[in-house]
Amino acid sequence: MRPLQTLWGYYIRMTIKWPGLAALIPFIPLIALWSFVVWLELFPRVFLPGPGDVLIKAWELLYKGILLDYLGDSVVRLSVGAAAGMALAIPLGIFIGLNSRAHEVSWPILLFFQAIGDIAWLPILLIWFGFGLTTMTFVIVYTVLFPVVLNTVLGIRSVNPELRRAAQSLGASRPRILFEVTLPGALPNIITGLRNGLGYGWRALIAAEIIVGTSGIGFLMFDARRAGSVEEIVVGMIVLGILWYIVDSWILAPIERATGQRWGLVSS
Amino acid sequence: MKSLVLEHLAKTYFDPYRGTQVEAIKDLSLTVEEGDFVAVVGPSGCGKTTVLNMIAGFVPKTGGRILVDDREVSGPGPDRGVVFQSFALFPWKTVRENVAFGPKMRGVGKVERARIADEYLEMAGLSHAADRYPNELSGGMQQRVGVVRALANNPDVLLMDEPFASVDAQTRMTLQEELTRIWEERRPTVVFITHDVGEAVFLANKVVVLARGNLLAEVDISLPRPRVWDSLVHDNDFKDLSNQVLQLVRSA
Repeated sequence: MRPLQTLWGYYIRMTIKWPGLAALIPFIPLIALWSFVVWLELFPRVFLPGPGDVLIKAWELLYKGILLDYLGDSVVRLSVGAAAGMALAIPLGIFIGLNSRAHEVSWPILLFFQAIGDIAWLPILLIWFGFGLTTMTFVIVYTVLFPVVLNTVLGIRSVNPELRRAAQSLGASRPRILFEVTLPGALPNIITGLRNGLGYGWRALIAAEIIVGTSGIGFLMFDARRAGSVEEIVVGMIVLGILWYIVDSWILAPIERATGQRWGLVSS
Repeated sequence: MKSLVLEHLAKTYFDPYRGTQVEAIKDLSLTVEEGDFVAVVGPSGCGKTTVLNMIAGFVPKTGGRILVDDREVSGPGPDRGVVFQSFALFPWKTVRENVAFGPKMRGVGKVERARIADEYLEMAGLSHAADRYPNELSGGMQQRVGVVRALANNPDVLLMDEPFASVDAQTRMTLQEELTRIWEERRPTVVFITHDVGEAVFLANKVVVLARGNLLAEVDISLPRPRVWDSLVHDNDFKDLSNQVLQLVRSA
């Protein structure tokens, strides 16, 4: 047990020093397992390439410039769609959250359309808008919209009513209460909505690119299928995972740490 | 600080589960003089929190009038400061920003309201915590912030709803002594709701006993000030008054 404990202590100190490592190390056994299965040659190499093959392929795609170009296309599409989705969703969520009549009327509709998944819209969108940017943007906006609206409404409605009373007794007007109390109180839920919305939006985008696309990571993967290049498909999958990790840990998590966790509204 | 007058205050509400009208407050008249400290006690369900919520304007009254400084009031307003049992501090504001909130809403400039906040924080012995967030403070410290946040806005009447019920016993005694000290210094008009008879007698000039929505008795507390627990615990007048109020509450 002793050497194991020493090793564990060493690991803990290392990850405190370089927090980035803590995210990488769990993948080591996963990659080892992958190499092991490939080494057993249970499947033909063409169907299941090893980590080395995939790395070479990734380098090749990077070198040709395809990977970065496609990645850029996907990220821009997601950003534009997500920004538009949020710009619609947050004000709408605030309005529905504040107005109980609007809540009553809109809630069943929201739940109804939330259930019709993003991809379920694709057939009809392809007829309406054809294979193009409009269809893709619509799908992303649609996908981002619902989690953000629903969570914003939830956040607004779950702000402690005593805080509103406290603000009123200190002389705050209704607009001041909205900006000083209701919105900061709803912020952790709004961020949860953004996190879910971006996550779903990202998946919807890949699906849309597979069906609609002319470029992008989803297109890259589907195009590789036609060429029979499993390495390229796996490169696409890995890029998806890495990109989401970056968005979550470099953008969303710091916002959460600076707001809800700092205020003690969400446990860290 | 100005006087508070309740004239034939009444509150009935519809209980949807029983399908009947419930009279929470039947006919309550009470005068709190300017600079007075009145504690309201009574068994649970006697309507004391309802009374405070009506004075604060959080729930509408169904009869009678509430006068602050001879003006009739309805709805919440900065003339009636409130200290909540749950503290109700804004978690996303630092201690200083919480205390400066009232002045900020009145349009007091940034420098001036920080000065006001720091003055009140010093009074509560909280200067060292000014830049911390409420969740980083103990319950006792949070409620000190709650009290000075209400005071810093210079209300005509200070309404306190069982403010020390959720802190531990030792902290509660300290907070009670601090409150009497601040009251003696500043003489705000205070209405203090509590179920703790000892607390009511210790703090107030007058204890009002409520029972089933009616005013049962008013007991004058003429104990000398400054009041500290170490001496009052053995004081016979304090014990007699506490017993008298306790009997009234228990008979209710």
